[in-house]
Amino acid sequence: MSYKATNMSKESKPDKDIERSRKVRQKRIGDQLRRIYDDVTSEPVPDEFLNLLEQADKSSKK
Amino acid sequence: MTKPTLDDQAFKTELADLIPHLRAFARSLCGNPTAADDLAQEAMLKAWKARESYQAGTNLKAWAFTILRNLFYSEKRRSWRRQQLDPEVAEATLVANDNSSSALDLLALRNGLGSLPEDQREALILVGAGGLSYEETAEICGCAVGTIKSRVSRARKALLEVLESNEAGFSGDDKLRASEAFDDIMRQADELSRDIPAGA
Repeated sequence: MSYKATNMSKESKPDKDIERSRKVRQKRIGDQLRRIYDDVTSEPVPDEFLNLLEQADKSSKK
Repeated sequence: MTKPTLDDQAFKTELADLIPHLRAFARSLCGNPTAADDLAQEAMLKAWKARESYQAGTNLKAWAFTILRNLFYSEKRRSWRRQQLDPEVAEATLVANDNSSSALDLLALRNGLGSLPEDQREALILVGAGGLSYEETAEICGCAVGTIKSRVSRARKALLEVLESNEAGFSGDDKLRASEAFDDIMRQADELSRDIPAGA
């Protein structure tokens, strides 16, 4: 409880630095999120997908 | 009066082009790559069957993502629900594999993602990684644009806090080998989840 109060009083000068480093990290998190996603989209699509789609197309033409 | 529809051939081509995105979105929901591909395949086939309800000129990606998401949430007993990445599994993997800082970074991020509430995680992934607009994401998730904005912002804040509290897993600015790291993570998660009995 007193921990919070101490913390608050310390928040003065380093605020800007903390703010900046947060922004850098946020950007980094954003980049990593995109990488996690893009890594999957850049994988080759397993044949199974296209085969299934072809099958579905053929059976709908009957 | 009929709505404009794509002919089957054009629809099939456009749907096939979306497969990588369906897989990526499914992977973000499921964690387990095999379960994710099952989900993506079912969503693709459902989209194909529903092709007549798709209006040409509207956003096919958002439309197909909506189908995938509904499928994910509606069929709770399917494998893709059972095999979500368990935060504890990710944690164990994190401890077991501390030899690459970039792998750790990504693993810490995945772990952090896993700790987010589902609604925040999917909003963040769709907007932050999938490149969808707030409006499209709102359409996919069936809620207001303002709700999505607030979910994304809360998710970003929570992720930052999780990663800050896990300082050891968050190293400096060395180059990421994201692809290798991610494959490694997914392979390990896959192996671990194989030991979890079905229905657990």
